[in-house]
Amino acid sequence: MAELTFPLPDLGEGLIEATVLEWLVAPGDQVERNQPLVEVETSKSAVELPSPQAGKVLRIHGEPGQSISVGQPLIVFDVPDDSAGIVGTVPKDEAPKRRVRLSAVLDED
Amino acid sequence: MTETTYAQSATGAEVHTTHIQEPRVLSMQQALNTALDEILASNTKALVFGEDVGHLGGVFRVTDGLQAKHGSSRVFDTPLAESGILGLAAGLAMAGFTPLPEVQFDGFAYPAINQIVCQIARLNYRSRGTMPMPITLRVPSFGGIRAPEHHGESLEALFAHVPGLKVVSPADPHQAYHLLRYAAASPDPVIFMEPKARYWQKAPVEAAPGDDLAGARIARHGRHLTLVAWGAMVARCLQVAELAAEDGIDVEVLDLRWLSPIDGVTLAESVGRTRRAVVVHEAPLTSGLGAEVAQLITASCFDTLRSPVERVTGFDVPYPSGDLEDEYVPNVDRILYGIQRVLEYKRG
Repeated sequence: MAELTFPLPDLGEGLIEATVLEWLVAPGDQVERNQPLVEVETSKSAVELPSPQAGKVLRIHGEPGQSISVGQPLIVFDVPDDSAGIVGTVPKDEAPKRRVRLSAVLDED
Repeated sequence: MTETTYAQSATGAEVHTTHIQEPRVLSMQQALNTALDEILASNTKALVFGEDVGHLGGVFRVTDGLQAKHGSSRVFDTPLAESGILGLAAGLAMAGFTPLPEVQFDGFAYPAINQIVCQIARLNYRSRGTMPMPITLRVPSFGGIRAPEHHGESLEALFAHVPGLKVVSPADPHQAYHLLRYAAASPDPVIFMEPKARYWQKAPVEAAPGDDLAGARIARHGRHLTLVAWGAMVARCLQVAELAAEDGIDVEVLDLRWLSPIDGVTLAESVGRTRRAVVVHEAPLTSGLGAEVAQLITASCFDTLRSPVERVTGFDVPYPSGDLEDEYVPNVDRILYGIQRVLEYKRG
């Protein structure tokens, strides 16, 4: 397994930090991609941040009321080694499906 | 376990002997990481550098942990400038270092072609042997991971056409571990093409190479036909051999390993026995390495061949988007068709 840290993303409009309102997941939870992770508040609005990926939550950073700077760790996932690549997807090693059959008369001369 | 023994070389550089002592089950990514770790530990002149290879540990985790262990003066990030990465490698090699640069993806090697072809490939020749270029350029290569443009290309024919370069591609973790160590110890520049579709599958890595790493190897013995492949296509050809066996056809799979220089002796020995051959590669058909392999087989086995050598390859188009790559990269059915064409051939 590998650790993958998701930092607080830039929430737009030049804001440099956000305050944690409520965590919607806890360490040990298995989360899906796009599942809401946390509600944070900026000086503009309160937003729910969706998970960038599936994985098991290892650690969360920031208690409700605490502020986190953009780029600081927000949440750490435990992900399988084989999903730790950054570009592309891991090919599935499944049994090949065939449509072509071979036929031959092997006259050994 | 990895063990290190220390010695002092004549030049004062610390030379250690470091290698795995017992079989380990590793992914290719882990096998390459282990090999790089050992190369850095055993050769104090070895340097690993490229885009994101340091702090991040590489986009495929191949250099994971190496900067923390060996320091940021020996494992370091470079700007996004492949020409600079390879120019730096040439200069470091002139100064006596053993550079192990990485170009992050096959399609990113194009900006570095000038440094590779005009400098690295020929400095030893130009200097009458006084300026060897012991550079191992690692390039995650070929397709199969649904990546965007410039992330699925097969450049072996481009590099194999350049005198002075060696080109190699490992097919599995054992080959990757031993071939990378072999390449790093070579005085010649080696283009090391890592099949990125095979980074994650685990297999045993034995402590001893098991054969002569300088040539091709027989990955599966068979009597009726030889499939010639390299990189990720070796695993696919082994699948095809299993399917062909269901139909009573006994297929040999030859893992070419070295794409320059090509091991014509092992090719001739294999096809001399089976008398039929199909070459499989991901690169486009026209002027692909399959043509070179077919000619080498024809020249050595012309009198006994039962059919012209067939090629099953990618198509003569730019590498397609991920949605289409299962159609572009030779799949089991296309390879089976290629085999059938050879089996059906009748002399006119």
